[in-house]
Amino acid sequence: MLKELKTKLTGFFRLKNRINLCLKHKWVLVGLAVLLSIPTVSVFAAEKVEITWWHAMSGSRLKVVDAVVESFNATHPDIELKPLFTGTYAETLTKFIASYRTGTAPNLIQVYEVGTQTMIDSEAILPVYQIPGMLGEAWDWAQYVIPITNYYSVEGNLWSMPFNSSSAMLYYNKDIFRAAGLDPNKPPTTWKEMEEYGEQILASGVVDHVYSGGWPGWIWEQTLGYHNHLYADNDNGRAGLAKKVVFNDDFGHMVFETWIRLHDKGIYIYGGPEYAANSAFKAGRIAMLIQSTSSLAGILKASEFEVGTSFLPRFEGYPVGNSLVGGGSLWVTKGKSEEELRAVWEFLKYLGQTEIAIQWHKGTGYFPVTNAALKALLDEGWFSNQTYLTAFLEILSGRRDTAAATGARLGPFVAMREHFRAALEKAIAGDLSPKEALDEAAEKMNQLLKDYAELYGG
Amino acid sequence: MGGKPKAYPPPLGSCRPKGEAMQEERFPGYKWLPYLLVAPSIAVIVIFLVVPFVQSVRGSFFISTPFGTKTIYVGLRNYIRLFSSPDYQNSILTTLAFSAFVIIIGLSVSLGIAQLLNQKIRGLGFYQVALIWTYALSPAIAGVIWASMFAPATGLVPYIVSKLSGGYVLNWMTNGRIALLVVVAAATWKMLGYNIVFLLAGLQNVPKALMEAARVDGAGPWKAFWRITFPMLSPTTTFLLFVNMLYAFFQVFGLIDIMTRGGPGNATEILVYKLYRDGFIHLNTGSASAQSFVIFFVISIGAIIQLRVATRKAIYAR
Repeated sequence: MLKELKTKLTGFFRLKNRINLCLKHKWVLVGLAVLLSIPTVSVFAAEKVEITWWHAMSGSRLKVVDAVVESFNATHPDIELKPLFTGTYAETLTKFIASYRTGTAPNLIQVYEVGTQTMIDSEAILPVYQIPGMLGEAWDWAQYVIPITNYYSVEGNLWSMPFNSSSAMLYYNKDIFRAAGLDPNKPPTTWKEMEEYGEQILASGVVDHVYSGGWPGWIWEQTLGYHNHLYADNDNGRAGLAKKVVFNDDFGHMVFETWIRLHDKGIYIYGGPEYAANSAFKAGRIAMLIQSTSSLAGILKASEFEVGTSFLPRFEGYPVGNSLVGGGSLWVTKGKSEEELRAVWEFLKYLGQTEIAIQWHKGTGYFPVTNAALKALLDEGWFSNQTYLTAFLEILSGRRDTAAATGARLGPFVAMREHFRAALEKAIAGDLSPKEALDEAAEKMNQLLKDYAELYGG
Repeated sequence: MGGKPKAYPPPLGSCRPKGEAMQEERFPGYKWLPYLLVAPSIAVIVIFLVVPFVQSVRGSFFISTPFGTKTIYVGLRNYIRLFSSPDYQNSILTTLAFSAFVIIIGLSVSLGIAQLLNQKIRGLGFYQVALIWTYALSPAIAGVIWASMFAPATGLVPYIVSKLSGGYVLNWMTNGRIALLVVVAAATWKMLGYNIVFLLAGLQNVPKALMEAARVDGAGPWKAFWRITFPMLSPTTTFLLFVNMLYAFFQVFGLIDIMTRGGPGNATEILVYKLYRDGFIHLNTGSASAQSFVIFFVISIGAIIQLRVATRKAIYAR
């Protein structure tokens, strides 16, 4: 041990002497510094056009992304598309902002639906509807599924490319329905039935709680849109920047109070902000789940019981709207060379090809984005499985002509959703009455909208 | 700030007698060499700490769009909004409660365990490793473990509680107080190993002769602990107090992010987590800059108090 130390020390002193020797020749040092400061110049001239894409697809979705990119690169020898997983949606957006401000932004970026207004106002992107014209091409935008393009359009022009779209639906455990003496092929269609079924299931003692869900803020938006009710003024922020939210009226309070009442009865158990409730459903500890359609594949794979799916329950006697599109879309960074833009456009067109859209849908559970892919899936009999059919019918079955049924587009949407989640949690905990909690959230959201309008001069 | 000390800290305030090293020039003939050699470190500190700090102080007087396309000077508005916001006041209280719990519970439990470990028993090595390894876990993994243990519908703990109490539903996702306690427990547990290592080292440094002398003089174990062991441990305790404060303010971020995301309501939204949410998720950089300055201020005050008071009381000499 000691000996080892000694040899090390001797070595160190030798090194020191050598450095000293070096230092005698100051010019050596200067030369070294100059050498180091010369930027390394790549000697290889790029033959391929390199484009980068930042996305937030992890887990099994990442594999599908990689497969699609690989086949794209293989079929386009002059393009090298480099995908990069950059964390969650929020992290990806933050990184994009930082990179844009330092001039190192990727060509293409995936942004979640709540970030839509932020991207539109960013002055950092090129709306996709302008791209074919810039490249001297014509493009038929009607080939994409309409509720999706509606969501990402400003005054009828599509700003971002539909990519991973999902909606919310009701999952239910048919075995539990049977055990509780309910018809497994008759899921609840209204909230009144949710309550009645819930009481019956609780009385049967099969489970301790009947239903749960994820993404509370999003389910709230869904419920409003589903009843053709506006979330915010100025046509949900689609006719101009929204100034205030309009959901805390009689309808909103009624919905919110219903949820809290079901919770107080033990029917509803709160399931956290995202997907935590899925494990309870998969383990058979709750009978129903209100969750994103993109959870379907995972739920079918992990559940050892018969899974049923259905539309979201309705409140009877209120107008009919549509369930909303969630998920994400692809945005094109502006200020890149025409060569790169052409390559990006090739990729965006590639994603719309029928077999690629089908591959994407089957691998992930997100909607096929084009009508042709949807038709091919229908012809193929893919939807003969009822559980798969529900989700698609859902966004296609409602009305599409109102802003309320298209969904809100708001600047500070991410923070607003959090305020809703906090309100729900406070009301469930009994810290505030349902009415107080919802009004408090609305007030905070109005302040956010006001701040946003101040910044953007709306 | 926040760096983990690698070795036992040198006694603060003590330094080598002056003149010994300074008399003779270390690099004869190369007057500027020492400066050149420390320049990289200084550059790193300036580029990564000083410049961002100045920038965020400046940023706290503005509001700006996420992409920086527009910036408006608002004076002290970001600060005024912060301190008049019930959410921020709540966040300050939560942070104080959280760090008090983590520091007090963490240090007393660790001291108890370290005391137990500081004796000759069979299988000592096993116990030591078993109690220390928690520190090697990443916050994300610790968070996942605790979150799944307490998962309302599927977790082990709510199941046991419900069986024992005849149906009480322990749902930390809807009960803020329980959530805070669970996060405190997880954070304390996570830091236990680190605290135990240092306290154990401190305990082993307490001279046996002193203890024996005390025993001869008729002091019981309790008295010996409070009169000898505890004062002798004070340098370690002082150091751990500071490290645990930094831990409770900053490093628990990962645990909170994985376990509660600041919820339910805002029950576990400590200052640094609120800053992260406002700055990086809600893209409100002005407010986040103001918050970072507030945290800097709070931590500085805490550090000064600890260094002034605690170092004076700590006994370094043997």
